[in-house]
Amino acid sequence: MNALRSVRPVLVATILITGLLAPFAGPAVAAGDEPGGLQALIDAAEPGDELTLTAGTYDGGITIDKPLTINGKGWPVIDGHGNGSVITVVSPDVTIRGVVIANSGKRLDREDSGITSDLSPGLSIIGNRFENVLFGMFLRHAHGAEIRDNEIGGMDLFIARRGDGIRIWQSTDAVVEGNHVANGRDSVFWFADGVTVRNNHVQDGRYGLHFMYSDGAVVEGNVLEDNSVGAFLMYSTDLTMTGNVFRSNRGPSGYGLGLKDVDGLMVSGNRFVENRVGLYADNSPSKVDLYHRVESNVFAFNNIGVLLGSTVARNVFTGNAFIDNGVQVASDSTGNLLDNEWSFEGVGNHWSDFAGFDADSDGIGDIVYEIDNLFTDLIERYPEIAFFAGTPAAQAVDMASQTFPSLRPEPILTDDSPLIRIPSFPPAPMAGEATSRLFVLMVSLGLLGAAVSVMAGGRSRFRGQAVPGGTT
Amino acid sequence: MTAVANSLHAAPRAFELRLLSVIARKVIREASRDRWFWLYCAGFTALAGAITITAVPDHNLIGSGGFGRTAASLVALVQLVVPLMALTLGARYLAGERDSGTLVFLLCHPVSRTEVLLGTYVGLAGSMFAAVATGFGAAGLFSALRSAPTDPVLLVRLAALSWLLSLAMLGLGLLISSTVRSASTALGTALFVWLAVVFLGDLGIMGTVVATRLPVGALFATVMVNPVEAFRLASVVALDGSLDALGPAGTYAVDRFGDGIADIALGVMATWTIAAVGAAVLAFRRGDQT
Repeated sequence: MNALRSVRPVLVATILITGLLAPFAGPAVAAGDEPGGLQALIDAAEPGDELTLTAGTYDGGITIDKPLTINGKGWPVIDGHGNGSVITVVSPDVTIRGVVIANSGKRLDREDSGITSDLSPGLSIIGNRFENVLFGMFLRHAHGAEIRDNEIGGMDLFIARRGDGIRIWQSTDAVVEGNHVANGRDSVFWFADGVTVRNNHVQDGRYGLHFMYSDGAVVEGNVLEDNSVGAFLMYSTDLTMTGNVFRSNRGPSGYGLGLKDVDGLMVSGNRFVENRVGLYADNSPSKVDLYHRVESNVFAFNNIGVLLGSTVARNVFTGNAFIDNGVQVASDSTGNLLDNEWSFEGVGNHWSDFAGFDADSDGIGDIVYEIDNLFTDLIERYPEIAFFAGTPAAQAVDMASQTFPSLRPEPILTDDSPLIRIPSFPPAPMAGEATSRLFVLMVSLGLLGAAVSVMAGGRSRFRGQAVPGGTT
Repeated sequence: MTAVANSLHAAPRAFELRLLSVIARKVIREASRDRWFWLYCAGFTALAGAITITAVPDHNLIGSGGFGRTAASLVALVQLVVPLMALTLGARYLAGERDSGTLVFLLCHPVSRTEVLLGTYVGLAGSMFAAVATGFGAAGLFSALRSAPTDPVLLVRLAALSWLLSLAMLGLGLLISSTVRSASTALGTALFVWLAVVFLGDLGIMGTVVATRLPVGALFATVMVNPVEAFRLASVVALDGSLDALGPAGTYAVDRFGDGIADIALGVMATWTIAAVGAAVLAFRRGDQT
């Protein structure tokens, strides 16, 4: 309200008039085409003013160097015309709301962005649309920044030539919430201590979320799908990962969630579905007195549910469900994973391939669950063998080792309290559209119909042709 | 048989498509009376249905995903059942006809051996099409009725790949049929070939990898020669979009051949089909069919 009161009447009039004229003159004539355009309005504004932009197209390449609120009504477009960054912020307490930020340059070396900022604490970027920009936003020294409800679409370029949807550098306590990022490269949080990343949807990029040197980050309720890697956390401490969905992140060395040199981590209530590898950890935790809890997560239908570096230790897996992963848990080289704990205070994990029983009906299997597949063991020693995953021959190898205990390798893990039933989990944003049942039904009936007509063709048409054949 | 009998006086003459189709229809008609054919069909359909029925996930747990695993299970099933079915069907057919004397009777008619063999092949291919389409159709039907996750386009592609695999295997089956004397020998040979393409080939290459650290290029090439493996790799490409999940040899294949992997796999299956059918025609024309 303070900002509203301090708005200068002249400015408002100018912008409103151009906005009103815009519908008559078409979108090409707007404030952006006036001498000086949007930049002139910003230059004329007092610190703390609120500029209201009405529908129309405004020239980009603007710099905001004083505390200011830009408020779009009816989706005004700020167009960078393919040159450099569209908006540059070099002031604290700037708010940009409700505008379309379009057409940045595409030079990676200059990091052309929709919004680029430096020394901009308190920057708020709320409810904007980013279209055809190289980087969506690149914020430096933006402590307490608020990035909320933006729609960020990248450029149609080869993935390594794209920019990052969101990049936050050297900024503490930023909040990134409710954004949708598609077709970017990565979303990077670098030296961003205390960042909160909540309820975002990141898809079709390279690294959905990438944290480096960002201590105390909280990551919850995000959906990360169809990226090369869902989220990768590196060189950070005291992180919380709860209630996220990692789906179908299947790059060549892709993971749902990857960890490298992370110390102090809670991973709970997440869904890892159909990734190449659900969870991968390398040297995490790195400190010998630290334990990580991986609790109440679902690992389902991944090629590998959990992949751990062979020296990884002190991870505690409890109350998770491992459902039909190609390989439930594996080590990335030879050696076992017994330095991690696969049950905690009598609560293990649910394993879909557990072949035990529960005579006393306490929900805990009466025999231990072990992973001692000969085929997986072979892969760890001879990685080329992975080429045969899913063949009958691979199953034969495993069957042979079950039948002849002398072939059975040492178990790589033992869960002495496997859960018989799938535990109940807190809800997670399990989006994803189902295929139309009608379409499936039609295709199936089509296949069956084709089968019947081929078989029927053998009978009826044979007789039909035999008759004219007899008359020739 | 009237159509065939009436062209009695047309002696040395060109290859006739009409005769081929008459024989093909006869073969389909006989397959529909064959207990083994129905047993295989029923087994394949039941297993494919069972895979989809057990694959209904809890939506809150994993959302609408999950067809990837179902499809992978279907591919595993096809690798076992379709080669077995096609090989034994092809191997038993001509050898069985020969044993029962009907083949000699058929060859007494003015119909060339090439026409008989190709007609038989087309008929058996039609029967295999019906079997594969029934299995995948039933899988899709169960999925739709139980609201299981399904990708109908992928389902059709897998069905098509399975049929291509069966074409190559049928060719090998008919080759066995045209070279081996009795039906029981033919069946035994077919089972051995099945064992070789499904298990022994892969196990042998795995052993070679362990013993000699076979280079990934040679590994990819030797595996790809096997039509069953060509089917599997083409299916993995259809499912995952690439072979990246299959370790160093998969990464090599992606680097070296990129999007061409599926084409190579299709080429392998087509080559096996043409070579096997061609060899079967030659063997059948030269062989003593009494």
